[in-house]
Amino acid sequence: MNLLSDIRYQVLRHLRTLFRIRVWIFISLIQPIIWLVLFTQVFKSLSGLPGLGTASYLQFFAPGVVVMTVLFGSAWAGMGMLQDIDMGILSKMLATPVTRLSIITSRVIASMVMLVIQALIIFTIAVIMGVNIATGVPGVLFSIILICLLGLGFAAFSNGLALLFKRPEPLMGVINFVALPTVFLSSAMMPSQLLPGWLDTVRHFNPVDYAVVGVRDLVLTGYVWSDLWRSMLVLAAWATAGITFGTLMFRARAE
Amino acid sequence: MSIIETNQLVKVFPGGIRAVDGVDFEVKAGEIYGFLGPNGAGKTTTIKMLNTLIQPTSGTAMVAGFDVVKSPAEVRKRIGYVAQDIGVDEYATGRENLTLYGHFYRLDGPTIKQRVKEIFELVDLTGYEDKRVSTYSGGMRKRLDIAMGLIHRPEVMFLDEPTAGLDPQTRIHVWDHIENLAKAMGVTIFLTTHYMEEADHLADRIAIIDLGKIIATGTPDELKRSIGGDVVTLSPRETGAEECQEFIRRTQSALSGKPFVLGTQATDSELAVYVNKGESAAPRIMRLLASEGIEVESLSVSRPSLDDVFLKFTGRTIRAQEGTRTTYAQMKRKRDRR
Repeated sequence: MNLLSDIRYQVLRHLRTLFRIRVWIFISLIQPIIWLVLFTQVFKSLSGLPGLGTASYLQFFAPGVVVMTVLFGSAWAGMGMLQDIDMGILSKMLATPVTRLSIITSRVIASMVMLVIQALIIFTIAVIMGVNIATGVPGVLFSIILICLLGLGFAAFSNGLALLFKRPEPLMGVINFVALPTVFLSSAMMPSQLLPGWLDTVRHFNPVDYAVVGVRDLVLTGYVWSDLWRSMLVLAAWATAGITFGTLMFRARAE
Repeated sequence: MSIIETNQLVKVFPGGIRAVDGVDFEVKAGEIYGFLGPNGAGKTTTIKMLNTLIQPTSGTAMVAGFDVVKSPAEVRKRIGYVAQDIGVDEYATGRENLTLYGHFYRLDGPTIKQRVKEIFELVDLTGYEDKRVSTYSGGMRKRLDIAMGLIHRPEVMFLDEPTAGLDPQTRIHVWDHIENLAKAMGVTIFLTTHYMEEADHLADRIAIIDLGKIIATGTPDELKRSIGGDVVTLSPRETGAEECQEFIRRTQSALSGKPFVLGTQATDSELAVYVNKGESAAPRIMRLLASEGIEVESLSVSRPSLDDVFLKFTGRTIRAQEGTRTTYAQMKRKRDRR
């Protein structure tokens, strides 16, 4: 009970903080729209390419934008933890009876809440721009489960790294190093049939690709259960790994 | 009744640094106990062992009746902690900061509401409850920071360098608040500081700590009385390291065995002479040194301060280690050179 109450009040605190930073809200909403519009313009001539599975690049790319937004949003989740460490808020909190587990859990949950909101907004805009979601509303909800697992892993890893480094520079370095390559090492922008052979192999070790494949199936084709099961299992393993890492780092490094 | 008691408390950090090296002390319920020492003496490490943030390497500590290693959860319920960094959330209001902590201490909504009102009055922030902390001044933030450690009416408050980084006026204001809450709430206060004036002003009893060891304990008056009478501080005309050493050596030998001299203690650039009566000893010292041909740049007579106590035991001053000690003579020389 104490754990749930601690999580609840801290999640409220984190969400309140984010909603009070107006620039952050503005950018979070505008960025995916820019990606949707900009990328579909850049890659316009790819529409009709064999392998896309659809006539329009927008239709193909929308799932990628959802996944990218989740990836970038959750990868930066550790910055808030870093701020708390830096300001002395974390050590002050640790001298209270607050349940230890709630501190990192509430941060990850708050990240998830924001990601779900962002994902729903992108889906809505995509539909307005003419994207047709094959599985409809249930498919959107299914997609949200997949991207939540992806985001959970990244957010937990990011918080763990914040505790490990306790400095912004190395954390920012790692995030920048990881975020873009994981997008390009997946089928987010190019259908897998058009990727060079080595890349098509590498993407099978990339959790981002499993989210992209799952969401794209749901948007373009329907319930391709062979893909969806694999995506669910791999992403659940990824989330578990992240939470394990984050918790271990918290035990070892928080004081 | 003692509310904090430590027995041979030791903390060795990875790399072998003995930050706290066998510390024994006892704090009585209701008193303000000051840990005075320079930066790096082991004050913060001691506080972090007492408030359960870090584990001692060896030794034991009891806080509010519970062992900090065996029952950390029980200790946490009964203590408040105000760290050196002001650990308040800038994006939240004062009330939101306090309310979150109320929930951490398992207080119910109405109790929290009532306590927020009381505590804001106590730290003189009434009217600012619903303003964002980002609009608070430094002194207001520190008071909110202190208030957050009070919401559950703790038995012991740990204040780590409560006025570090505040301007002198704000510092005195914060002192008043600390004294007030000690009286109003009857809470025991354990505070660390490297400001002698702060320990002198606030603490009922003091432990002076250096290099992880307690070197003296007592009330501020007892400690100062242990020096003897007055302190005459002499500084040489020549300020080179060798000249200073030469000055100190010659002065010490000139004064040795004189009945009015209780003892001497040298720093790098000065010599403190402990005497019964400063007013009559000063001219005698001057005469003696003149006859030996020792040139003195400046001489000052003062009542012993806690820094003199520190100097007596360590051969260093707390102020010198903060890098802020400049004697009048040194300032004058600098000015003359321009």
